[in-house]
Amino acid sequence: MKRWIVGVLAFCSGLFFSLVVANGANEVKIGLMGPMTGKWASEGQEMKQVLDLLVEDVNAKGGVNGMKVNLVVEDDGGDPRTAALAAQKLVTQKVIAVIGTYGSAVTEASQGIFNEAKVIQIANGSTAIRLTEKKLPYFFRTCPRDDEQAKVAVQTIRKLGFKNIAILHDNTTYAKGLAEEAKGLLEKEAGGVKIVFFDALTPGEQDYTAILTKLKSASPDMVFFTGYYPEAGLLLKQKKEMKWDVPFIGGDATNNPDLVKIAGKEAAVGFYFLSAPLPKDLPSGEAKTLLEAFSKKYGNPPNSIYAVLAGDGFRVIIKAIETTKSTDPDKLADYLHKELKDFPGFTGSIAFDEKGDRVGEVYRVYKVDEKGQFILQP
Amino acid sequence: MENFLQQLLNGLSLGGIYALIALGYTMVYGVLKLINFAHGDLFTIGAYVGFTLLVSVGITDSVDPMAALIIMGATVMLFVATLGVGLERAAYRPLRHSPRLSAVVSALGASIFFQNAVMLIYGARFHVYPQGLFTKSTLSLFGLYLPLVKVFVLMVSLVVMTLLYFFIQKTLTGAAIRAVAIDHNAARLVGINVDKVVTIVFVVGPALGGLAGLMVGLLYGQITFTMGWLYGLKAFTAAILGGIGNIPGAMLGGIILGIIESMASAYLSIAWKDAVTFVVLILILTIRPTGILGERIAEKV
Repeated sequence: MKRWIVGVLAFCSGLFFSLVVANGANEVKIGLMGPMTGKWASEGQEMKQVLDLLVEDVNAKGGVNGMKVNLVVEDDGGDPRTAALAAQKLVTQKVIAVIGTYGSAVTEASQGIFNEAKVIQIANGSTAIRLTEKKLPYFFRTCPRDDEQAKVAVQTIRKLGFKNIAILHDNTTYAKGLAEEAKGLLEKEAGGVKIVFFDALTPGEQDYTAILTKLKSASPDMVFFTGYYPEAGLLLKQKKEMKWDVPFIGGDATNNPDLVKIAGKEAAVGFYFLSAPLPKDLPSGEAKTLLEAFSKKYGNPPNSIYAVLAGDGFRVIIKAIETTKSTDPDKLADYLHKELKDFPGFTGSIAFDEKGDRVGEVYRVYKVDEKGQFILQP
Repeated sequence: MENFLQQLLNGLSLGGIYALIALGYTMVYGVLKLINFAHGDLFTIGAYVGFTLLVSVGITDSVDPMAALIIMGATVMLFVATLGVGLERAAYRPLRHSPRLSAVVSALGASIFFQNAVMLIYGARFHVYPQGLFTKSTLSLFGLYLPLVKVFVLMVSLVVMTLLYFFIQKTLTGAAIRAVAIDHNAARLVGINVDKVVTIVFVVGPALGGLAGLMVGLLYGQITFTMGWLYGLKAFTAAILGGIGNIPGAMLGGIILGIIESMASAYLSIAWKDAVTFVVLILILTIRPTGILGERIAEKV
């Protein structure tokens, strides 16, 4: 009698598992790792909004090679330790590829885990140079690199004719890398440009008056801040309160409309920053369609270029799966490295070099006007 | 010299805020021997309640700025105090007789709960206090700059701290709090309602934390749901520096911490500022393990 029950149970569970497996074969799992909580949560949540939109779109058209796309979202909290856990969770859920993440230090903590598990990772906001210098076979990024950013920063500084430069970073992988790269370039080119100040602040604090007082005593005629927008906004605001009138230029992590909200329009006006083109300045037809669909669904256009770059990462991997008709990581990586050329992304044409870096695509210079708008500089 | 004085002012105004938050840690520790890790998040909630009053309720539309400030201060303190009492009931009182570690874990859990509740209610983006409500003028004396808001904030914290000091030292309730801080059972023997005293502590501590949150919002303008963590950490350090459980110690510790921070960034390195701060903390604790004013164990609250 008992044996009979056990037999039925075994049969049922076998049936159940085979059904699950059958279902599993009919979908493609793509991971999204992003800062859904924590200080960069507004970036992460917009990344998710863009990907949700694109997944809906792909599935409405019948999926990829007849398989539905299933987006698995994990929160990295903008924190390297949480990212390592998030990466492990994604790996155990057997995702084929992962989009993300935003901060370089956070990406770095997850790179090894994905690489070992042969999961393709396409970062969207991590611009630190050394991420691709490791030559990991499954790592790609849709954003540009900091050496290019530093080059543009130095060109801008020279074009605007500043001589005494202060460089301030925040000790994160990204900000420190960019600051050091820019410092190296400025020193090499000599050209009468002097670095009068080089130091780091602690992100997440709110009182930067001590730092600004010290900066002021070094009397620079321009400050290059390579950190993120929350701190940049406060620096601008407190600089204005000190009645110190010095131009600031920021790296691409200061590119977020919240900067103007935090600093106030009066304090933000005249602030320069480097960035890949903003969503509103993207020329391609694909971008226009995305902006329209996004506004229709969420009521406002996307604010962050990194969310759009995450969307590019997603479309690239779908394209790879479609073309290679495979979900084998080696085949996909090989395709992305060698065969993908001139893919019409939202942010311009996309191709990757052998390190996984995106080729082409240039940084632009933006300036904040009196209304607090970001204006593309010629 | 000018630079030195400017940095001293910078440190003083930052230290005033640290001190106000440190008071909440120190009072709870004095009475319950518990580090209330959720205190930093109560501080955050104070900042967000102030934001709601300013933006959604539009309090400055109907009354003049000074009255608005007083109403805001009172509402924020009342709201956060209510939360504080609820927190004690739900998360700490059931664990009063369990090992101390359980209560600490419960406090950490409460902290995570509050932080994420704020994120879910208000969203993850930065919120900004409306600008230009209160005077934006900056005092400039002998080449030093001091925004008037900062002077105001510093004055408010000093007044509140003095009031608290007299409340603890001179009133009957204050005496009861001090008695419970020394020994729960002995206090109960002489007829003190320990639960009531603990409730009072959880009214006063969180109310001060909430007030500090409101002032940070008014002062720096930018608030975010994670802000409580760093302020909490600094204020906790200040409380230890001054001697945890000791009210004048928390005030002194906060102000010293603010000044060390600004001096370290002025004369050493900005990047090493926190390292310098903690080296000073370690040095003080090696010489005086109870903190600067920690010797008055009998009086600690």
